[in-house]
Amino acid sequence: MPSASALLEVRGLVKRFGGLTAVDRVDFDVREGEILGIIGPNGAGKSTVFNLIAGALPASAGEVRFAGEPILGRPPHAIAALGIMRTFQHNRPFAGMPVVDNVLVGSHARFRAGLWRILAGGGGAEERARRRRAEELIEFVGLGDFAHAEVDTLSFGQGRLLEIARGLAGEPRLMLFDEPAAGLTLAECDRLAGIIRGIAARGIAVLLIEHDMRFLLPLAQRVVVLNFGAKIAEGTPQEVRMHPAVMAAYLGDATAV
Amino acid sequence: MSAWRPLAWVALFAALAAAPFFLGSYHNDVFRKMLLWVALALGYNFLFGICGQIAFSHFAFYGVGAYSIVILLFQFELPFAVAALLGLALCALVALAVAIPSTRLEGFYLALATLALAQLFIVLLNEGGALTGGTGGLANYRLPEIFGVRIAGPWYTVLIVGLVALTFGILWRLDRSWFGRACRAIRDNPEAAAAMGVNVARTKVIVFTLTSVLAGVAGMVYAFVDNTVNPPIFGLDNAFLLLFMIIVGGAGRHAGAVIGAVLLYLAPFVLSPLIGHHHVLVFGVFVLVAILLYPRGLIGIWDALRQRLA
Repeated sequence: MPSASALLEVRGLVKRFGGLTAVDRVDFDVREGEILGIIGPNGAGKSTVFNLIAGALPASAGEVRFAGEPILGRPPHAIAALGIMRTFQHNRPFAGMPVVDNVLVGSHARFRAGLWRILAGGGGAEERARRRRAEELIEFVGLGDFAHAEVDTLSFGQGRLLEIARGLAGEPRLMLFDEPAAGLTLAECDRLAGIIRGIAARGIAVLLIEHDMRFLLPLAQRVVVLNFGAKIAEGTPQEVRMHPAVMAAYLGDATAV
Repeated sequence: MSAWRPLAWVALFAALAAAPFFLGSYHNDVFRKMLLWVALALGYNFLFGICGQIAFSHFAFYGVGAYSIVILLFQFELPFAVAALLGLALCALVALAVAIPSTRLEGFYLALATLALAQLFIVLLNEGGALTGGTGGLANYRLPEIFGVRIAGPWYTVLIVGLVALTFGILWRLDRSWFGRACRAIRDNPEAAAAMGVNVARTKVIVFTLTSVLAGVAGMVYAFVDNTVNPPIFGLDNAFLLLFMIIVGGAGRHAGAVIGAVLLYLAPFVLSPLIGHHHVLVFGVFVLVAILLYPRGLIGIWDALRQRLA
């Protein structure tokens, strides 16, 4: 596996819930600027892998390195500050603020002005610059008309786009998407795929957890397949699609193609 | 508009500072206490309305500030600046001691811990012997000269206007920054806030400590309004009144906190001659109506009206 260097290295990752091994010695890399997909049937351990990387769950064993630094055991806010931002499968907006402020929360870790400087009246230029940047990102995901709307006026699909803009505001080097196509219409899925390609084109590595192969396979450059917590295949979308173990795992799963 | 805004604020606070010179001593007293409620409500709104922390200790910290300045000045006979700084440090230490363990736990633990603290504080005041003056509290003292200046009469009211301006200025600056957004994010969805890089526990501890210290400062100022401190003042009745002020005015909004504080503080003056002590009942109805029908409080009703007219 040559060319670009690995930004995220996952080695021997294990998560046990009591007697159940939800993630069983999983290895993979995410390289700079690539879109890596993780697929698998329901209960394959995709979301658990995601939450282990994001720091939302403690791992039982294994190692995860980001830009060479071990990150397992760090809290979610520290992982975000390192440059790993995420979306949630079930939208989690900040309901009490307008869209642009939601996005600004995403850039929380990037603010430089300390509390004393703010109390002394400083930080205004930084605040304005970040707000402009947030508005650009809102434009980028296609929510330009809603920048100053309250979040409860957004549709479900628009809420997903807000999650993406909010994540991008953290200036990530790696963006994690947790089933981004779930609950979206076909038209929304197409737009979402375009946005994700646009993100990768900006040099941001993308890790996608996805249940829907129709959405993922045209989008990802490489795919890791999980089943019952273990990696059963890895390769290009073409290789994975033809892999016998993958076909067996997905057999009878109506959403797979 | 934005160029006039700072000027409008200066004019407002100048008018508030000028008012006591036109008021008699009785109305000065009413005005001072109203301003103190406003200062308390602004801080409590930041803690409860903006950061979403359910705590019942805010009024107790008002008491910690009041008692500590009186005890340090007149029982230990410390110089004013030393007493004030020690009082602040005490508020901060107690706040940290409560906040650090309880913000790490979920949900109701902060509410329970702060309720216990508020009750414990009253017990300590009652059982404090000569130090706290027991059930009778401490009295017969007056504000010493501060750096050679004796602040009295309307000038003390001006000082309280300064306290409100300082409290509002600090909270306003914080609210309009990344810090205020982080607080609101924690209130709305702590898990998402953490994923966006917000250190939830640390932010909660900072907010709890800061607002508790601000309540303590207000308490220090209050100690020389009545020139007496005693346990019943700092009991849970007033802690809940403060909560009602925020809910009726509109949680999460500075203007809501101010409206709620002014209205519920002044209401008894109007209602008591009419219905005696039953004004508490009216408060209860107010709060119920607010919670059930107008969760955004009076300021929310105002917003809706303005939107309809625009």
